Amino acid sequence: MASPIPGFHSCYLRIDLTTGAAQRVVLEEQFLRDHLGGSGLGVALLLKEGAAGVDPLSSAAAMAFVFSPLVGSPLTTSAKFAVVSKSPLTQRINDSLASSGFALAGKKTGHDAIVLTGKAPRPSILIIDDDQVRLESAADFLGLSTGETEHRLRERYGTEFQTATIGPAGERAVSYATISHDGRHAGRGGSGAVLGSKNIKALAVRGTHRPHWAEPSALVELARKFSEKSFGPATAKYRELGTASNLLTFNRLNVLPTRNFQQGSFAGAAAISPEELGVARERTRSSCAACTIGCEHLYGLKNGKGSVRLEYENLFALGPLCGIDDPEAVLEACRRCDDLGLDTISAGGTIAFAMECVERGLIDEPWLQFGDGAALLRALDLIATGEGIGRLMALGSRRMAHEIGHNSIDFAPQVKGLEIPGYDPRGLQTMALGFAVGSRGADHNRSGAYEVDFSEAVDRYHVGPESAHLAVETEDKAALMDSLILCKFLRGVFTDFFAESAEILRLVTGWDVTADELRQTARRIVTDKKRFNILAGWTPAEDTLPDRMLRQALPDDARAQLSPERLSALVRAYNLARGWSPEGWI
Amino acid sequence: MQVVVELFGIARARAGVAQTTAVGQCLGDVLADLAGRFPLLAESCIAGRTLRPGFTANLGGRRFVTAQETALTDGDTVLLLPLDGGG
Repeated sequence: MASPIPGFHSCYLRIDLTTGAAQRVVLEEQFLRDHLGGSGLGVALLLKEGAAGVDPLSSAAAMAFVFSPLVGSPLTTSAKFAVVSKSPLTQRINDSLASSGFALAGKKTGHDAIVLTGKAPRPSILIIDDDQVRLESAADFLGLSTGETEHRLRERYGTEFQTATIGPAGERAVSYATISHDGRHAGRGGSGAVLGSKNIKALAVRGTHRPHWAEPSALVELARKFSEKSFGPATAKYRELGTASNLLTFNRLNVLPTRNFQQGSFAGAAAISPEELGVARERTRSSCAACTIGCEHLYGLKNGKGSVRLEYENLFALGPLCGIDDPEAVLEACRRCDDLGLDTISAGGTIAFAMECVERGLIDEPWLQFGDGAALLRALDLIATGEGIGRLMALGSRRMAHEIGHNSIDFAPQVKGLEIPGYDPRGLQTMALGFAVGSRGADHNRSGAYEVDFSEAVDRYHVGPESAHLAVETEDKAALMDSLILCKFLRGVFTDFFAESAEILRLVTGWDVTADELRQTARRIVTDKKRFNILAGWTPAEDTLPDRMLRQALPDDARAQLSPERLSALVRAYNLARGWSPEGWI
Repeated sequence: MQVVVELFGIARARAGVAQTTAVGQCLGDVLADLAGRFPLLAESCIAGRTLRPGFTANLGGRRFVTAQETALTDGDTVLLLPLDGGG
């Protein structure tokens, strides 16, 4: 094999779990340049595997753990990996990202990606030690929480191995189960269910292969400058308050989804805000490996029960969305999701939907009421065990609505089956477009269109088709960040994102890459995701929002109103801005 | 004229208050007034009469504004916010 491209190993590891056979597959330079790493490379590999037409929970399904050219470099926030598969929740593409030591150790195995196909004969731990691959029994780990699994894996295999695990939810193929590493999660879309369906409780990876860099001295100098900038005002929010500080801002702007999107503000917001929690509880900070921002804020539970990472999305989904203003219940729910391996947004969204179904008399579960913290915790446990109403809730709000009927799909808080994150689209209408067209469903990590709404560029209550290109731009930036990979919390430190990204990539790989080339690369990656979805059965009718959001203004903010016609016009303009047909065919 | 100023996120943390009042005919006047009274807020969020990068303002919860000449009327509510909403 030719020498690897700087920043890459120029190959991936393909493992057939049914037989245990492992194969090293060469990645050509042009293929890497076209798709980079992370999400971009992962989608390209899945297309190559023909994964779009396969049931994601079948043994024939492929899933990819993908590293990137920047992993292992001195650049801040670059220790990240993507998990890419077809989603059991949406039946569309799913690319979830997580951070830290697993990315570093995984890339050191000497591969740019690890592709899993087949199904292990029995519940197993997949060990990848450089290029040596083996399956060991997971019998001792079944039923354990994600944290306990990681703890026991460290005891068994030592701290040189880094692990990615599923919890009880993944073992039971809950449609929105996560894959966890060091307390962080590849969270959205059910990648934990895909791994669980392959009989893999955890991966443990270790390696000795370090890629080289094209211009190491200049890269170190550039990394130093980025680290310095990452201490500046652009990241102060993340560093000092954490993402949860969005809560009171969004509440004031009437875009804080409350009681299953029945309101845009929550009377109990102050009680669960980080400003309040920080006064009443111990707060500590943490960060991923190779990160200078340190966005993680952990809050102590009462009675010495440890501490919990709190993010805005957890807080919104398990608090206001379910009408809960009891901080102890919200924090405990966050921890329970972490332990069980559940996506907090989908868990909260589905439970909030179920609460409204109870309120409307569509489900006979009178204990499941908005505002009841104990009910929230009980619901999470039922989802993980599949008992009672938990069987339905484990399917996510869309499939649950289809089973319940009575037009409940009209208020199921989802797009393409993925529960909507904490931005009410009626008051953030560029984001409404971003949610509607998102390849993995309603997604604040693949479209940053809320940034447009929080600016003078548009009137967030009356966004018109002329703004579609702004949504395209934020989606392209996200696609590039997810493929290089860099943390999105770093985006504020860039002055000219595409040009500076090109410089980073040039120093890593030696390629004469330009800003224009990276713009094209980002567009290619977004189009590849669309191609995957079309192969999986996508139709234009999917690019929409729940009926409630198109026919009802927010009761607490009458200005926040969309219509089917206005959203259709936005979607059409978006498709044309992408160079696709007006309906969205590529 | 007098306006109400609500502060969020880092702006609130720096000023040490959630709400205050300020005087001025335009946004620049109000920012200058705040900067004079809250030095820590000025260090992070306000440069003279303008907002520093990473921050924005909003009138009454509806319209985002940054231009210092943005006219204000008596009783307006000005929100000072971190620009970045990601999470």
